[in-house]
Amino acid sequence: MSNKWKENRLINRKDLKILIGKFINLRLIQISDAYITLKWRNSNQAKYLNKGANSVEEQKQWIKSRPTNELNYIIETKKEIPVGMISLINIDFTNKTAAPGRFLIGEKNEIKSIPAAFEALLLIYKLAFKKLKLLRVYGTIAEENINMIKFQKYFGFVEEGRFRKHYYINGHYQDAICFGLLANEFHEVVLVRLNKMINLLSNK
Amino acid sequence: MMTDKQIEKLIIEALIELNEGLPDEEKITITTQTELFGLNAQIDSLSLVSLIVNIESKISNELNYEISITDDRAMIRAESPFLNVQTLKNYILELFDEL
Repeated sequence: MSNKWKENRLINRKDLKILIGKFINLRLIQISDAYITLKWRNSNQAKYLNKGANSVEEQKQWIKSRPTNELNYIIETKKEIPVGMISLINIDFTNKTAAPGRFLIGEKNEIKSIPAAFEALLLIYKLAFKKLKLLRVYGTIAEENINMIKFQKYFGFVEEGRFRKHYYINGHYQDAICFGLLANEFHEVVLVRLNKMINLLSNK
Repeated sequence: MMTDKQIEKLIIEALIELNEGLPDEEKITITTQTELFGLNAQIDSLSLVSLIVNIESKISNELNYEISITDDRAMIRAESPFLNVQTLKNYILELFDEL
């Protein structure tokens, strides 16, 4: 089976259209999500993400033009209220790698009593390592995004290096910290820690 | 042995450290009643994890103890230790009692 064939099939695979969790689901982004995702991308929550669209029309175009090697999801509560987004991009079946990203909780008040962010991450890692059988996921975080750096390290991501002056954010250049996670690390550490945190916060 | 006041001070210091990394509009009001998780929580998931990291680091660096405040014991409690400063303090005190 060619890798291109696999990529083309990704978005059509029934088992990838919706990823079901205990508290939230991830469903593939649609054109009709343009307004709400633009609102989130223009909010302060997205200040560490790359600059996005400026209008709903541009956001629709952005959603329409997603390449076949990425999966972009809306995080929804069980009542189907969209509360954020998360993606797996640069999916590469040759090297068995991908980059989780565009992780954004836009409606914090809707998820205050549920561990939505933790479960969204867990679902995206399960997608990468269990459904797609990748070997490694990776990403970069702006050095001033301290809470996200602590978050990723806590859940087992390994700091692998640094791109100097890589991002222009908040009016100045910042280094990008490079992180990676291997499949065995996910199964041995991250899966356990994320499940533990989800259980802890479900126990109210 | 750690006292109630020492643990409370440690949690408050960890919250102050967390606040230093938050933008002005997200800074939290820190009191001994600050809610950490649930409908009235002032912090989000990212910040909660940062707070846990800050507390565990302080316990390790300042008190020379290695404890995990998210271990299995936390899960079998009737209520989550992460509801507010008081529930977290009580839980950490229990962990120290078991050392």
